[in-house]
Amino acid sequence: MTVLPWTEAAALPLLAPLQLLPLGSALLLLLLPPRQQRLSYSLATLLALAELGLASELYRRFDPSGAPFQFAEQWSLFAPISYHAAVDGVALLFILLTVFLGLMAVLYGWVRNFTPPSHFLALLFGCESAVVSQFASLDLLWFLLCSMVQFVLASWMIHRWSSSLDEGMALRRFAQFMGIGVLLLLIALLLLGWNQTDRFAGRGSWHFDWVTLMATPVPITLQPVLFFLLFYGMALRIPLFPLHGWLPLIAEHGTVVPAMVFLLGVKTGIYGLLRFVLPLLPQEAQRWQLFVVVSAVVGVFYAALLALKQHNLRRMMAYAIVSHTGIITIGLFSLQLQSFQGAILLSAHFGLATAGLFFVIGLVNLRTHTVLLDRLGSLFDHLPLLGLAFFVAGLAIVAMPGTPGFNAVHLMLEAAIHRFGALPTIAAALGNVASAACLLWAFQRIFLSPPRITSATSQTITRLHTVEIVFALTLIFVQLIAGFFPEPWLRLVDNSARLLSEYYISY
Amino acid sequence: MSSWLDGHWLTGLIAWPLVAALLLWGWPNRHQVRPLAVVATLLELLGSLIVVATVQPHQGGFQLMERSDWIPSLNIHYHLGIDGLSAPFLPATALLFTAVVVGSWRLVPASYQLYFALLLVLEGLMIGIFTALDTILFFIFWELTIIPIYFLISLYGIGPQRRFAAIQYTLFMLAGGVALLAGLVLLALHHPGGVSFDLPQLLVQSLTQPHPVAIQIPIFLLLLVGFAVKVPLFPLHSWLPLVVMAGPFALSATLVGLKLGVYGLIRFALPLAPQAAQQLHWLLAGLGVIGVIYGALLAMVQSNLRQLLAFSSMSHVGLVVLSLASFSMAGLQGALLQLLNFTLIGSILFLIAGFIHYRLGSTDWIHLGGLARVMPITSSFALLFGMASMALPMTAGFPAEQLMLAAIFQSHIGPGLAALGGQILAATYFIQYYRRAFLGPLNSSIATDTPDLYRHEQLIVMLFFMLVLGIGIVPSVVVDWTRPSAQAWLLGMIGH
Repeated sequence: MTVLPWTEAAALPLLAPLQLLPLGSALLLLLLPPRQQRLSYSLATLLALAELGLASELYRRFDPSGAPFQFAEQWSLFAPISYHAAVDGVALLFILLTVFLGLMAVLYGWVRNFTPPSHFLALLFGCESAVVSQFASLDLLWFLLCSMVQFVLASWMIHRWSSSLDEGMALRRFAQFMGIGVLLLLIALLLLGWNQTDRFAGRGSWHFDWVTLMATPVPITLQPVLFFLLFYGMALRIPLFPLHGWLPLIAEHGTVVPAMVFLLGVKTGIYGLLRFVLPLLPQEAQRWQLFVVVSAVVGVFYAALLALKQHNLRRMMAYAIVSHTGIITIGLFSLQLQSFQGAILLSAHFGLATAGLFFVIGLVNLRTHTVLLDRLGSLFDHLPLLGLAFFVAGLAIVAMPGTPGFNAVHLMLEAAIHRFGALPTIAAALGNVASAACLLWAFQRIFLSPPRITSATSQTITRLHTVEIVFALTLIFVQLIAGFFPEPWLRLVDNSARLLSEYYISY
Repeated sequence: MSSWLDGHWLTGLIAWPLVAALLLWGWPNRHQVRPLAVVATLLELLGSLIVVATVQPHQGGFQLMERSDWIPSLNIHYHLGIDGLSAPFLPATALLFTAVVVGSWRLVPASYQLYFALLLVLEGLMIGIFTALDTILFFIFWELTIIPIYFLISLYGIGPQRRFAAIQYTLFMLAGGVALLAGLVLLALHHPGGVSFDLPQLLVQSLTQPHPVAIQIPIFLLLLVGFAVKVPLFPLHSWLPLVVMAGPFALSATLVGLKLGVYGLIRFALPLAPQAAQQLHWLLAGLGVIGVIYGALLAMVQSNLRQLLAFSSMSHVGLVVLSLASFSMAGLQGALLQLLNFTLIGSILFLIAGFIHYRLGSTDWIHLGGLARVMPITSSFALLFGMASMALPMTAGFPAEQLMLAAIFQSHIGPGLAALGGQILAATYFIQYYRRAFLGPLNSSIATDTPDLYRHEQLIVMLFFMLVLGIGIVPSVVVDWTRPSAQAWLLGMIGH
């Protein structure tokens, strides 16, 4: 496996600045004197744009048909942990998504005007840095530590700014679930470390570098344990049915949209499966394929049905997410080239669409002060652009042609028909129609039909102002353009998906 | 400009309504929107007529082809073209939408900018459906039509259940779309030279080296389900009555006037799985004959003209499917002619129902009666078009039904007799409704000064009636024009 160092592609390392810029931005904003506070949001927008520029520079220099990992930077720290960053197409796609969502989150913060701005923005940039670092890192331990930082910072944001009265309970539940997830991953790390020392007769030091991990064969007896530790460690945060217990609570009480975006819009769990589980344990993934796929199919329908029953828009979104991650999982565990491509693209697109829906819900909530479906209605007359943004994001989740979801689902369909035959595939795809039902229904309730209980929407609704218009238009256009011109993204992930599928070719 | 258009007529036909829709939606002066919408549809009509005039009917095969890469890594292309089977639908679509836009002049009270924009978007997408030669491109147009239809029903519907109807329609179509996409993907995966979504390639392959029937049958069934939802065929028809009751008349007219589902069967399902289709001819014929009888029986018990027309269109389309199951020249040509009749007759009946509803607030005969006294022009045209839909000689319905029945009696005598019975029922339900709603003493709730058809409404009704008469008297114009392509189609199906 070739890992191309950064010196091959650019005059300066790009990944370290990409991770450090948000961190620096956070510090800068914290150091801003109190009198200059009102500058923070415009300054933060500029910094987020700079980060986006850096990421696009990375994209421009990345060679999709070149070495699998590029821009590698390595720096030995103390004993088991080392800094080893490099990106492949998948990581790059997710980094682009994160950085874009970071910009949107700053703009959203501007609209909502969280105070004090410097604290909010510092946390937001800290979160962004942690997520980018997870995607850029090749080291499993580094990945784990960064994800802990991400969880803590996001929880902090929720704790500080949530408008719910009960966010403490939700955060405790979140911490329990994530704690268990981290614990499972730590145990897996321990096993991997012991395996390495055994292998080198006690002389090898512990390394959780992806390259080292791949080079160290895992004994057959250890494989099932390791697979389940890693799989469930990642699955808890995705979250996969039936491990989704934290999500509805967090979605309902964690009303701080940027935090939700950094927890749910960026699919670190899916990325973890792609990077650290599927290539490491191909035999086990193959063996437990049916188990995973069946539970994912059950999850798709179960969550879609629950979503239809919700009265709180945020809870409904939570179940819709569980339903869709089920579809991504089916794609991942079809274990074929097209299905990998499809699942990767789909998770990026779902991330974008989910974040878009959360943003729109937040902006609606800003005006109506409620997210209860019974109290919302007729908003299309007042906020047509927001309605359109919700509709497009909803359609992207349903994989309507013309949105990014379609090409991904199309690929997965091809692969699944290959692997499982037409009928089971159609049964699973009908799950998508079920989620279409709940999103359409929500769209209609919020934007088209009059509210059942006249309260919030009978007040005058203020129209969108400039920042919000730019915000909504960006959300709409990015999705439509990515939907009608999917070729760059397909090319970007093609190489990585091909490599991944080579582990499964013999089956 | 003209040189660019020379190679891209079809793209132009698809793009113009979409561009016009965008312009209309953002047009600053809303009072100019209605005339501009009419101008836009008339230009589209002109364009479609030019396109049809440039087609060489005797050459057969696809013409005016455009092809460029779109998503190369999935082997999906932007590929357009028309042949004798699809070309007639272009002017039919354009004509229908012109009529619908003119007919909606008064039917829409408020915020009609978005309304006309949605209608134009729908027009562009439907033209796309008739011209797409890449199966995925076709599917994309096919699914995208759901969006304008959803908004048309949900925002501009007339019934209290319009929002439910909009969601129900969308879910039916999405579920049908799953089957359709699976069928198309399955077809592409089995293409011997690698995954292909290219319709001409697939057609050649199904002619020269057809798949074994065991592979064809699932493909055919999936495509059949996908298209049957749209047709609609029994038992997947239950969205239709709700949509016509709750949706706007303009939309009902286009849904009944353009039978996209049957077009899909003719263009994709039958020729791409020919042996399976012939083996399962009993299924097609059975679904068709159930549609004929069931639709006619349901139409008989309706008191509302919209429901009645919906079920009667279901009955007529059943006959079309039955005649397709005969796999004969007469059957195909009769079916094509009848599909055009849906545009000329079925949609205008819906518009007439809309005109009545606009004036009196109902199309239920319980609220009507003696309409002929106050609206003589409406009543006479309702009768004329009703007769045309019963296939009265001299109207366009007659040659179509003759051809279809001739074909059916050769291939399926039993279902043919049953279908004939359905036709007799058709006469009873329309005449019964007509007697109750239009004849007799004037219903006391109807004002005696109810206006009759306005000038613009008369104009479209007249125009369509001329066309109905014209095709009824000289059907050979259409039949001869489509013959070479029909022969090619039949050759692909039965191989001689």
